[in-house]
Amino acid sequence: MFSFDPYSPAVDADPFPYYKHLRDEAPCFWSPEAQMWVLTRYNDIVTALNDWETYSSASGNLMTELPGRAGATLGSSDPPKHDRMRALIQHAFMKRNLLALEEPIRAIAQQVFGQLKGVKQFDFKEVSSQFTVKVLMAALGLPMGDEAIVDEQTVRDNAVLMVQSDARTRAKGPEHIAAYNWMQEYASKVIEMRKAAPRNDLISNFALAEIDGDRLDDREVLLTTTTLIMAGVESMGGFMMMFAYNLATFADARKTVVANPELLPDAIEESLRFNTSAQRFRRRLMKDVTIHGQTMKAGDFVCLAYGSGNRDERQYPNPDVYDITRKPRGHLGFGGGVHACLGTAIARLAVKIAFDEFHKVVPEYHRVADQLPWMPSSTFRSPLVLELAV
Amino acid sequence: MANITFVEASGQSTSVNLADGWNLMQGTIANGIDGILGECGGSCACATCHCYVDESWQDKLPAASESELDMLDNVAAERRPNSRLACQIKATAGLEGLIIHLPATQE
Repeated sequence: MFSFDPYSPAVDADPFPYYKHLRDEAPCFWSPEAQMWVLTRYNDIVTALNDWETYSSASGNLMTELPGRAGATLGSSDPPKHDRMRALIQHAFMKRNLLALEEPIRAIAQQVFGQLKGVKQFDFKEVSSQFTVKVLMAALGLPMGDEAIVDEQTVRDNAVLMVQSDARTRAKGPEHIAAYNWMQEYASKVIEMRKAAPRNDLISNFALAEIDGDRLDDREVLLTTTTLIMAGVESMGGFMMMFAYNLATFADARKTVVANPELLPDAIEESLRFNTSAQRFRRRLMKDVTIHGQTMKAGDFVCLAYGSGNRDERQYPNPDVYDITRKPRGHLGFGGGVHACLGTAIARLAVKIAFDEFHKVVPEYHRVADQLPWMPSSTFRSPLVLELAV
Repeated sequence: MANITFVEASGQSTSVNLADGWNLMQGTIANGIDGILGECGGSCACATCHCYVDESWQDKLPAASESELDMLDNVAAERRPNSRLACQIKATAGLEGLIIHLPATQE
């Protein structure tokens, strides 16, 4: 009897055979373990993402939601509230407004990856998490250097911990909740600093941003800041692990982008399709929907398995092949529709610069272990450790 | 469902049937039509799905929202009175026969 339990270590490690079965045999599947429906075909996921009136995010968008979060962040609210919040902060994330970050990001990449000079074996997580947190601190304007209120390592440790779930119970354990609460307190201190003395950074901007006299309230500023930190560390950090995993696994692809770094953006897009770290997000139905002979009821939760839609042979020929010449437009690696990732432009920019600099120091590398420890998470997927040898 | 024709800058013309609720950006991408990038995934945040609505259709589409008009300031090709973002136009039966022209560049 087939089962699909997004809380199981087997799905953490390799969800793709499950997805294939679901797409072919049960494209609208009720998972008793998850207590939600699971949609796995590209077309069905796109249709759901387009229809936010039916597939609501207001009850939370993470597979395992954090306490008190739903309804107050961008990802967990519906239009028109969502559009109002997004309008206030979106501007800062547009490609043209990120140009000023290019040089600081490159300096961070050179410093972080420069540490690998002469090193024969290393855990990529160590460098990718350092890079991610530094970029995030620079982009958001979190206090650094003399201004710092805590050391960078503490921010990093809590950010990494708060997105995880307990490996056994699959719920948020006390240590994850504590890390999340720590991050909220930290964010709240930073917001107060920036409100008192605004600078030209993201947090100052959206704490004070106004459109037609409308502003975010304190809780919205706080939870949105916390979410940006979480999304930055988890999504970008996780994605960098997956990208390194792919390039370490597929030597031809790595050699191609090392020889011609101009092709890095194509390799990044294909990684976003092939095994994006954002595997599954959640919606809640506002009305009954009948699809593939199943009726999902108003109030039911639905898992949108982006990672499966990206491997749907109905959309992408030879979907299980990592092909950096594919140029997979329309992939679901950043989600889609009104809730598509806010950070697409900064993620693409930062990851491209990171690997450009990484490859200058370490052009040849491969995985040390065949079997990897995968993060226990029903939403994201990335290895906890990625030992690489030169 | 609506049958919509996309005319690429090269003159290449392709008609596709688009399911209700799907937007024109997705219609081009899912059907392998060039000329649209859709970098932001359809959240009206990148201006890389710029298109020109055929003049015969200009007054028949629902008006652009303020955020779409705002984002149209950022398009790469010439902005014209019939410029729209393809991700902000959703297919309905009322769009049967719509003709969309695609610009030569999006970035």
